Amino acid sequence: MKDYLNVANSSFLAVLGGLVFLFILSQSTLFLLKAWRRGVHAGIDKEKLKAAIRQSVIFSIIPSLPILISLVAMAPVLGIYFPWIRLSIIGSAPYELMAADVGAKSMGVTGLGAEGYTAAVFANSMWIMSLGIVWGLVIVIFFLNRIQGTISKAKKKDAGWVPIMIGALFAGLLSVFLADVIAPSILQLFADEVGKPVLGLPVLLVSAVSMGFFGILIKKFKMNRLQDFALSFSMVFGMASAVLISL
Amino acid sequence: MNSYDHYISSMHRIGRITGIIALFFIVGVPALTCWKFGIFPPIGNLLAGLGSILVVFVPIAFIEVMMYTPMAGVGGSYLLFVTGNLTNLRIPALIMCLESAQVQSTTEEGEIISTIAIAASALTTTIIIGLGVILLVPLTPILQDPTLKPAFDNILPALFGALGVAWMGSSTSGFSQWRVAVVPGILAIAVILVMGGHAGKFIGILIPGMGAISILAARILYKRGWITTDASHAKQ
Repeated sequence: MKDYLNVANSSFLAVLGGLVFLFILSQSTLFLLKAWRRGVHAGIDKEKLKAAIRQSVIFSIIPSLPILISLVAMAPVLGIYFPWIRLSIIGSAPYELMAADVGAKSMGVTGLGAEGYTAAVFANSMWIMSLGIVWGLVIVIFFLNRIQGTISKAKKKDAGWVPIMIGALFAGLLSVFLADVIAPSILQLFADEVGKPVLGLPVLLVSAVSMGFFGILIKKFKMNRLQDFALSFSMVFGMASAVLISL
Repeated sequence: MNSYDHYISSMHRIGRITGIIALFFIVGVPALTCWKFGIFPPIGNLLAGLGSILVVFVPIAFIEVMMYTPMAGVGGSYLLFVTGNLTNLRIPALIMCLESAQVQSTTEEGEIISTIAIAASALTTTIIIGLGVILLVPLTPILQDPTLKPAFDNILPALFGALGVAWMGSSTSGFSQWRVAVVPGILAIAVILVMGGHAGKFIGILIPGMGAISILAARILYKRGWITTDASHAKQ
């Protein structure tokens, strides 16, 4: 075993990971309770609040699985506990691997776990991964008050515009993810040779059609219980189509 | 100050306090590890490496805050920037919950539902990752199963295909939401085609870029009266 892995897989880092884990759970629970109490106080139907919790929990299970996959991928080179910590606070796998690699290269080592990747180089990777990612949080801590103040003012000035602006922001995000699936399929349509099937588009279509179908069942046939599962089931159908096409 | 303003200012206070504690954790982990094992990377090398990361990630952080805090509201934003996974988990979770509750994000009810959705999503992810650490050995063969790989590789098309249909077919925000998606949708396809068919690592720049273009396009549509909301009707 490489010597830095003694540090990376030490019980000391496991304990730190446990503390971070407890902190995130406490913070999220605190926010949840505060919002819940306010909601009840403001007269929002408790069923509506419960539904939001239920739907968010059910939805979040499937998109959390790729995070586990990246944890599995990072564990051999960075140990298990530090990737756990990084992925629990802010982190994302592509960033972490890139920042860790920069940590290695800035110490003159060719890459993660390569010849010369000592405990000190691992520590360098840890620092760079951690200090590189905090800035969104720092900006929020210092400036969120002002940003939200500006939005409130805009709302007072032109109440019609603010929801459209926020909708447009989400539309921008949505359009990039959809286009990233649609564009390769368009290219393939005009390609001379038949390449590997592009799975993204069939997956997108299957999940979109499923969601549309669930929407009809919920609205027209009042199958309201489906509301909790519609998005997750649609995703599973889409993902299952990728498996079936690849068989 | 009415009781809702009081709630918002208390969320800011708690958000800042817990945010600062999170910063202590983030910095404390490498600091304590170095102290415990007596390993200190040379500060020059550390700063050189860090510099190359900060040049890219400080501007990205700034843009992400501008892009996602208006969607997430006050309570949600503090949680969003501690627990991460913005585009693949938290924002879709909150959009879905708002759609399902038929609530606008800019209202008090929207603020509360957003915070609840993001908190519940963060709890779920954190618990799943925690379980993953404990069950790493038995889980590894399942997660790396080659048969399931195409499914996990296509989680984002599955997510945004379904969420896209639900969101574009709705008018929860007070207007026909598909109308604001047409211009950025066509432009995003054009840009990615020009880029050779994949956004790849530029996706982090493309998203805010399209966000800005999308706002601009929506503004023009709004000013021309092609998108109207209940509030803008009331104003007229």
